[in-house]
Amino acid sequence: MGTLSSVDARIVSFIQALRAEGLRVSLAESQDAFFATQSLGMLDRGAFRAALRAALVKQHTDQPVFDRLFPQYFRAGAPPMLQASGELSAGDMDLLQMALESLAEEYRGLLRSLLEGRRPADELRRRLRGSELQRQIQALLAELERLGMPAASREKLEKLLQINLQAMQQEAARTAGEALLRRPARRPLGEPSADLLDRPFRGLSQSEQALLRKEVARLAAKLRTRTALRQQRGEGPRLDSKATLRAILRHGGVPFQIITRRRRRKAKFTLICDVSTSMRPVVEFLLLLLYHIQDQVGRTRSFAFIDRIEEISDPFSQHRPEVAVPIVLRRLPPGYYNTDLGHCLAQFSARHLEALDRRTTLIVCGDGRNNYNPARAELLESVARRAGRSAWFNPEPPTLWGIDDSDMLSYLPQVDAVFQVSNLRQLSQAVDRLLP
Amino acid sequence: MEPGNLDAPARVKDGLRQQGYIASDEVATVLYLAQQLGKPVLAEGPAGVGKTELGKAWAGAAGRNLIRLQCYEGLDETKALYEWEYAKQMLYTQLLRDKLQQVLAQANSLGEAADRLAAEEDVFFSMRFLLQRPLLQAILSEQPSLLLIDEIDRADAEFEAFLLEVLSDFQISIPELGTLRAVHQPLVVLSSNNTRELSEALKRRCLYLFIDYPDPQVELEIVRLRVPELPAAVGRQAVELVQHLRRMDLRKNPGISETLDWARALLLLNAEAIDPDTLENTLSVLLKHERDVQRARLNLAREARGAVQDVEPGEATRWEH
Repeated sequence: MGTLSSVDARIVSFIQALRAEGLRVSLAESQDAFFATQSLGMLDRGAFRAALRAALVKQHTDQPVFDRLFPQYFRAGAPPMLQASGELSAGDMDLLQMALESLAEEYRGLLRSLLEGRRPADELRRRLRGSELQRQIQALLAELERLGMPAASREKLEKLLQINLQAMQQEAARTAGEALLRRPARRPLGEPSADLLDRPFRGLSQSEQALLRKEVARLAAKLRTRTALRQQRGEGPRLDSKATLRAILRHGGVPFQIITRRRRRKAKFTLICDVSTSMRPVVEFLLLLLYHIQDQVGRTRSFAFIDRIEEISDPFSQHRPEVAVPIVLRRLPPGYYNTDLGHCLAQFSARHLEALDRRTTLIVCGDGRNNYNPARAELLESVARRAGRSAWFNPEPPTLWGIDDSDMLSYLPQVDAVFQVSNLRQLSQAVDRLLP
Repeated sequence: MEPGNLDAPARVKDGLRQQGYIASDEVATVLYLAQQLGKPVLAEGPAGVGKTELGKAWAGAAGRNLIRLQCYEGLDETKALYEWEYAKQMLYTQLLRDKLQQVLAQANSLGEAADRLAAEEDVFFSMRFLLQRPLLQAILSEQPSLLLIDEIDRADAEFEAFLLEVLSDFQISIPELGTLRAVHQPLVVLSSNNTRELSEALKRRCLYLFIDYPDPQVELEIVRLRVPELPAAVGRQAVELVQHLRRMDLRKNPGISETLDWARALLLLNAEAIDPDTLENTLSVLLKHERDVQRARLNLAREARGAVQDVEPGEATRWEH
């Protein structure tokens, strides 16, 4: 097995950088990237980019990362460097050599490389940016004038020097940039620390919230598998009478074929969430979690309330949860309102009671604080009775229930289960208990 | 250019255009690669942007037979792969009863009779009685084919795992018939509306394409290609309006298919320009929810009057104190 060509080596470091940014690129996908680029060649930059993207980016949300890193690794062709010996006549070259002797020792080598369009040695490269270099170039030109080089040649020489200098400076910047990029590529992927799951929602900073959001997808996958397993180990296949009858008709009434079906009862959820400022983070994570496991649960309808109740299920049917949650929260701007669950329950009973039936689980997510408005616990009782099961998610610890304006103690007897959900671990455990 | 000769991305792009599908360079490159590498293409994007059309156009451009499998929840192996036609088998048994008597006549014992029957087994379990569903059709097809699997995100995870198995080898083991291998490896296009996360293994297997709503110029080109008799000015107005509607926060954004339907409707109505009356009458072609229609009407009326904000009907002072 030979060494990698430079293009392949560049692709490898590009993939490393993508992985460091959180993209999950598997070995098979990196192989695809190699085959794809071999198949298309490097000539057409657009095609090369499309090939890499199709092989490496499998989620639309990862596209911006790819767009950001691609130009840093695959620059569109360096500008060409000119050679002095090709531009000047032999006589002028002799004059040039004589003039070079007059220059300071340190800059002689550098200027020689510049003139020939060769990359200078590493230790000389840091002089590329200095103003001293410009002065040396001017000194060289002055010496050439003194030696009698025609003005046209001198002009050509000056232009050549400037072009080569620019090209070399760009090259140096690029290599330095790449070295910086390579360092983060070795950085191991950040994992949320275990205690982040146990930290209360209120105490989280923005970056911690972002980490937790990523964690939600993983938790949802775990919940999904657990539900699927529970379903599998549940009852065996039952007779599907409708399908069997239809099959029997084909054989003239002889039960030749008996069709069975696994009884898959998906839970249906209806959420009533308090979206006042203190409750927002909790509600956001609850919505994210429930909508991530959408394929294991039946239709989920969500309602948000502060002083009025409003259905918010629509964006979730259209977009992925990470996109839908910000849409919903944008529609309901935070502010100073008086939470009034009693009034909202009345509105819900009047308008949206059809969302609840025998198979639905009702989840009320709130702190039960009503700003001393009437609690109307009897409304909660009638609503909860209509649902198959009901649960309350409260982020406050039980010691605070009933203190000040909290009406939790009157709401408690109306629901079947109460869960404290002050951190993500408790939230996912509560949801797990509610899934079939 | 005869179909089938797609040996460069540019040829793919031209071929698609001849079939009436405007594809970007990136799409053409990915399709070309999929053909070279023998990998399926996973096309994701909002509803109505032309993912299914892409499959159809590619089949036409490559001169391949199109075989379509529409996924839904509860789709399983029987409906996707194959089924035995019991009724036909029973019928043949009945009709061939006399011949069967003859064959078994010389048997002296029950065991011998059973053996003779077993020898004839492949009469009753042969390709004749196998009802081929799309996946098997694609594998056994004698002409090169293109398999279009629509809305894979509506099927469940078990079906995805089964599909993965089929897509990796393109061979099926049927217990009675043995292993059936593909004669020509079909091209595969999967489309997804992004309503749920597909399994990693499936994504890894495919080359990924995200098809989004098009830019105004591209959409105008599509309208001109598909509805050429529509006057240019009307077409331009229509495209501008649709692009504007997509920026409103509607429940369901109009896709390219809705734009084309609207263009055809305008053509039928002989519209010279899009005036408020025409718009009023034809808005239901573009928007499929009553709430969206009202919202669009309200916003357009407001804009005509000069106000700028996007507003939900009946929501004037919502949540704003």
